[in-house]
Amino acid sequence: MTVTPELLAAYADGQLEGADKARIEAAIAADPALASQVARHQRLRKALAAHYAPVAEEPVPDRLAALLKPSGGAESNAEVISFAGARAKRGLLPAIRRWAPVAGPALAASLVLAIWQPWQGGLPEGYADPDLAGVLDTRLAATQAADADLRILLSFQRQGGDLCRAWRGAEAGGIACRDGAGWRIERQFALEGATGGDYRQAGSEADIMAAAQDMAVSGALDAEGEERAKAKGWQN
Amino acid sequence: MAKAFEQAVLDLLPRLRRFACGLAGSAADGDDLCQMTIERALVRRDQWQPGTRLDSWMYRIMRNIFIDEMRAARRRSETFVDEEAGLGVGSVGGQEARVELALVDRAMRQLPTDQREAVLLVMVEGYSYKEAAEIIGCPVGTLNSRLVRGRDALLGLLEDAS
Repeated sequence: MTVTPELLAAYADGQLEGADKARIEAAIAADPALASQVARHQRLRKALAAHYAPVAEEPVPDRLAALLKPSGGAESNAEVISFAGARAKRGLLPAIRRWAPVAGPALAASLVLAIWQPWQGGLPEGYADPDLAGVLDTRLAATQAADADLRILLSFQRQGGDLCRAWRGAEAGGIACRDGAGWRIERQFALEGATGGDYRQAGSEADIMAAAQDMAVSGALDAEGEERAKAKGWQN
Repeated sequence: MAKAFEQAVLDLLPRLRRFACGLAGSAADGDDLCQMTIERALVRRDQWQPGTRLDSWMYRIMRNIFIDEMRAARRRSETFVDEEAGLGVGSVGGQEARVELALVDRAMRQLPTDQREAVLLVMVEGYSYKEAAEIIGCPVGTLNSRLVRGRDALLGLLEDAS
C-alpha cells in the first residue's frame, strides 16, 4: 500500500485507530524510511511543545487577569480603555507594523497638536502650528522616544515630489506635507480615543495609514531616507 | 454562574497565551491578541453553550480575530512594503526591533497562517485533528494536509539552520 504523508502524520499524531493504524504500523515495520519520518515528526512535535511551554508556565500578566476579576464591569471597562492606549503606544500586530517599517515610538507627551489658526497670525490657514511644525521638522520616526502619546507614523513622498509625514496622538492624527510656506495639513483624523476602547482605534490609525498609502508615490521612507530629507529641510 | 464563566476563562488563560504567542509571533503581540479575545468572549458570553467546550470556543474566537487582523493588515500592506521588510522589524524603536528571535519563532513566522494555526493546535496545544478542524472551521482532511505542509516547511527551515 502507499502511505501518504498525511496518513503518516496522522499516525505520528496518534490519530489513527483500528485497521488504519495496523496497516500503517505494518508498512512502517517494513520500511525504515517511513519509521524515520515518523521519528522526525515526533521530534518536531517535542521541540515545538518545549519551545512554547514556558509561555503557559509563567504567571498570567495582571492586565489580562484583571479583565476576568469578579469585581466586574467598571473595572474591566477601564482595562479596555487602557488597552487602546497601550496599543497606541506599542503599535499593532506585526503584520500591520510591517507596513510602516519606520513607524516608531511617540513624541513628547505634552505636545498638543493644533492647526495654526488665521487669527494667530504668521502662517496661512491650514498649516501646522509652530509646535507641530517643530516636531515635523525634527523628529525622526526611528529615534523618537518610546513612551509618549504622540508619534510620527511614517514619512513619504507624494505625487509632485513634496515630502509628507503622518502622525498620530491619543485622539487625533493627520498627514502634513512640506511646501515653501511650511507644513500644510492635508488630512486630519479624529481617532476614537477615550471612549472607544476596543481595537477600533487601531482601525483609525489604519485609516491614516491608508490615506498615506493613497497619497504616496512609492513606499515609506526608511530611517536613512528620513535623515536625508530632514537634512534638506524636507524640501526638494 | 457568571462568576464560573470568568473563572473558567481565567483557568484557560495560560494555554490561550501560549496559542496567541505562537500565532502572533511574539509575547507582546500575543498578549494583545489575548486581550482582544477575552474582551470579545465577555461580550459574547451568551453565545457560549454551557456543556460545550469553552476552550474550543475561546480558541476559535482568538484565531478568528487573528485572521481578521492579518487580512486587514494585508489589504493595507500590499503596495507599501515587501515581505521581508517585516521580518524582525518591530515598530517599537531601536532596541526592541533588534531583539534576536529564536529560530523556532522565525520559522513559524514564515509559515502561512493556515499552516501555522494547524501546527500550533495539533503539535503544541495537543488537539485531535477533529477538534482542531472544528476550531478552524475546516474539514479534517484539509487540516491534515495543512499540518503536513506546515510541518515539512518547518522541518526544512529548522534542519537547514542547524
